[in-house]
Amino acid sequence: MSVETTTESAPAPRKGTNILLGLTLLGLLLALWVALGFATNAFWSPNNISNLLRQGAMTAILAVGQTFVIITAGIDLSVGAIVGFTSVIVAWLLQAGVPLWASIILTLLIGVAIGAFHGFGIVRMGLPPFIITLATLTSLRGIGLLITNGSTISISHEGFTNFSRADFLGIPSLFWMVILVGIPAFIFLHLSRFGRYLFAVGSNKEAARLSGVNVDRTIYLAYILSATCAAFVGLLLASRIGIGNATQAEGWELQAIASSVIGGTSLFGAVGSVHGPLLGAFILATINNGANLLNVNSFWQRIITGLLIIIIVYFDQLRRRGSR
Amino acid sequence: MSSLEELSRRHEDQAGLAESDTVPRGAPILELRGLQKKYGLVEALKPVTVSFLAGEIHAIVGENGAGKSTLIKLLTGVIRRTAGEVFWCGKPVQLATPTEAISRGINAVHQEVVLCPHLSVAANMFLGDEMNRNGLMRKAAMEKAAQAVLDDLGFHLPAGARLESLTIGQQQLVATAKAAMRGIRFIIFDEPTAYLTRQESAQLFRLIRRLRDQGVTVVYISHRMEEVFELADRVSVLRDGTHVGTRLIGETNENELIALMINRSIEQIYHKEQVPAGDVIVETKGLSGPGFEDVSLTVRAGEIVGLYGLIGAGRSEFALGLYGRQPVTAGEIFWEGRKVSIPNERVAMALGIALAPESRRDQGLCLNLPIGLNINLPVLKRLSSGLTIRRGDAARNAERQIADLRIKTPSRHVLASAMSGGNQQKIVIGKWLSHGARLFIFDEPTVGVDVGTKAEIYRLFGELLKQGAGIILISSYLPEVYELADRLHVFRGGRLVASHDHRAATHEDVLTQAIGS
Ligand SMILES: Nc1ncnc2c1ncn2[C@@H]1O[C@H](COP(=O)(O)OP(=O)(O)OP(=O)(O)O)[C@@H](O)[C@H]1O
Ligand SMILES: [Mg+2]
Repeated sequence: MSVETTTESAPAPRKGTNILLGLTLLGLLLALWVALGFATNAFWSPNNISNLLRQGAMTAILAVGQTFVIITAGIDLSVGAIVGFTSVIVAWLLQAGVPLWASIILTLLIGVAIGAFHGFGIVRMGLPPFIITLATLTSLRGIGLLITNGSTISISHEGFTNFSRADFLGIPSLFWMVILVGIPAFIFLHLSRFGRYLFAVGSNKEAARLSGVNVDRTIYLAYILSATCAAFVGLLLASRIGIGNATQAEGWELQAIASSVIGGTSLFGAVGSVHGPLLGAFILATINNGANLLNVNSFWQRIITGLLIIIIVYFDQLRRRGSR
Repeated sequence: MSSLEELSRRHEDQAGLAESDTVPRGAPILELRGLQKKYGLVEALKPVTVSFLAGEIHAIVGENGAGKSTLIKLLTGVIRRTAGEVFWCGKPVQLATPTEAISRGINAVHQEVVLCPHLSVAANMFLGDEMNRNGLMRKAAMEKAAQAVLDDLGFHLPAGARLESLTIGQQQLVATAKAAMRGIRFIIFDEPTAYLTRQESAQLFRLIRRLRDQGVTVVYISHRMEEVFELADRVSVLRDGTHVGTRLIGETNENELIALMINRSIEQIYHKEQVPAGDVIVETKGLSGPGFEDVSLTVRAGEIVGLYGLIGAGRSEFALGLYGRQPVTAGEIFWEGRKVSIPNERVAMALGIALAPESRRDQGLCLNLPIGLNINLPVLKRLSSGLTIRRGDAARNAERQIADLRIKTPSRHVLASAMSGGNQQKIVIGKWLSHGARLFIFDEPTVGVDVGTKAEIYRLFGELLKQGAGIILISSYLPEVYELADRLHVFRGGRLVASHDHRAATHEDVLTQAIGS
């Protein structure tokens, strides 16, 4: 009779797996960059690199916010619509002569309000996150179109539109924004007790509640952070394209979810990090960028992205499954 | 022929259990030779050699984490062995999948119920083995058959009810009925009485004896020695993943088994610290809420107040009401003499109440998070300076509970789901010990906990009392509350029906009051 030997990993310390996954993703990203460098000369041109960093930056910020929500075992489908909507709001405010600082703060506050509304729908009305954020997705696009009458609002504020083209220390300002969001996000999720509460709520709401965690407040917090990140990206996008347009950022919510999942976040909740989704977003951006440079049909890009999600998440599952 | 036999016959015909796959009563039916299981580096089961005889009740005992459940999961194909051989009726077998195990007639009722909460009792019992006609499911016929089996077994359960509407104990009985229905040769019970009431246990024991009389081999895992001596023909002891001995039940005694299990002896399991009762910590007057009515009791410093009753008698509901998890509809709570209202858990914790809840899986633990985080969850605020957690302090706090309660784990980073049942229970307790409180409510604190650790937990109760805390101890295990409680309250149907001082009533009195007749 044959002796079976199954090799399986112990339920390794999660700290270890987090770092391991981070390194794997970083390795994948670097490998992609090296490979693309060989495949096409244009890839390493300064122009292309800053373009890539700009492309990736906005998804990355959305993905971080999205990850907070997914860790609580929720989902935020509205982030793409919030980006489009807030780009309209900021353009409208600026054109109405509101000072820049006030426009920015008001726009971010609108993000906070939308997130709070999601929290209200989930906590008080008992709606599933999928439903309430789906509802906001379509309504916000509608409201944005009403405000603009179906067209766009151009932004004539020079300082605002120049920001996205500017560099600082040779690195695009948009990429600095990732760092600006990423560091506090890291401290929040990995070093503070509120981050732990997100994980606890995502793992077992009842156990968290009986342990004195304010579950309702934690859920509000997650959705507010996600929507505020999205409003922030709305500002960046408006600055980048110089207009407010409610139909912009179509499908970005899926990009954000994909980045998050590639970055090791579990859609069942209680598993995730900040660095994972950031790397995930830049991996996706690199693939799109490389495919453009290599003249790959854009239809193929979508297919490749889909396959990539399956492959990466599948390997992640294999790694996690230690118990059989 | 009873409906149970009828149904199990149906299954045997379907599975086509070969006639050659039988052995005479008393001959080895299942033999394990050098069976081993590693989870990564953790050797849950070191090579184990043991054989089970046809038609015997074979008990397995051992400390938490000794490898009992692992052994069961190997035999039922839930996990695969790392090395070793298994012989079924003298022939080597793989037992690689649950389907293979079931088709050979090996079934188990696992420690944690694994059924579908949203399906009906009948649907659960027939899951994977539905009755069909022309490709359509015969729902009514299944429900009728399921009801007949339940009645036949003496379990008073409605086959049409949704599973989640039942108590954990009742769900365990459904799992038992499901296993018993499936044409079995060999059935394993992993701590089946942990969540059962006395009568439910008695029904289960009748079923187990009946199965044995039909020639079925029964493996029975329990931490309760009196059950082992009541039921078993032989008993095997596991310690740290090794098989340290098998005894005929008539040739051994409790002390020998405990010594084999933990390699030392325990003088006294129920050690009761004599602490003079102090001030009143909490007093409820006519407290009512969902599932309990008009409950008045007091808890003093240095005193254990025991709540005994059948499962579903309203004790846990009362605890949740007092803790602010469920709304209180009438009555008053006085905390240290002051009238208070406790609208939510955080207010309760701030007053100084800690609740270690009944179900470790549903209420006690975040299973897919590390042990350390689970222990620290209630005290993260205390472990934080400003926004960030003081990692060193958090690590020390978790390590201390792991050491004090002897939680068997290689590291605090291991996920709670990788712990054995008893060790999970210890995490729930450790969580609240590290939080500290004036009033501790322990709801079934020793379910699935081994004798040695039980004694340790009772000793810790004594420590808490000496520090001036009061304890509400909810237990369905009469000896525990009976021996430990300074004052024992009996619940029935959501009401407090009787109260006794320490050992003032007999077991029988208390039981009768709990059942009500
Ligand atoms: N999925 C898993 N991954 C890693 N280790 C595991 C896993 N399941 C169990 N173990 C380890 O294997 C050992 C044996 O566990 P097992 O569940 O068999 O104990 P047990 O004897 O049933 O204990 P209890 O009386 O507490 O139920 C324990 O040390 C446990 O931590
Ligand atoms: Mg076990």
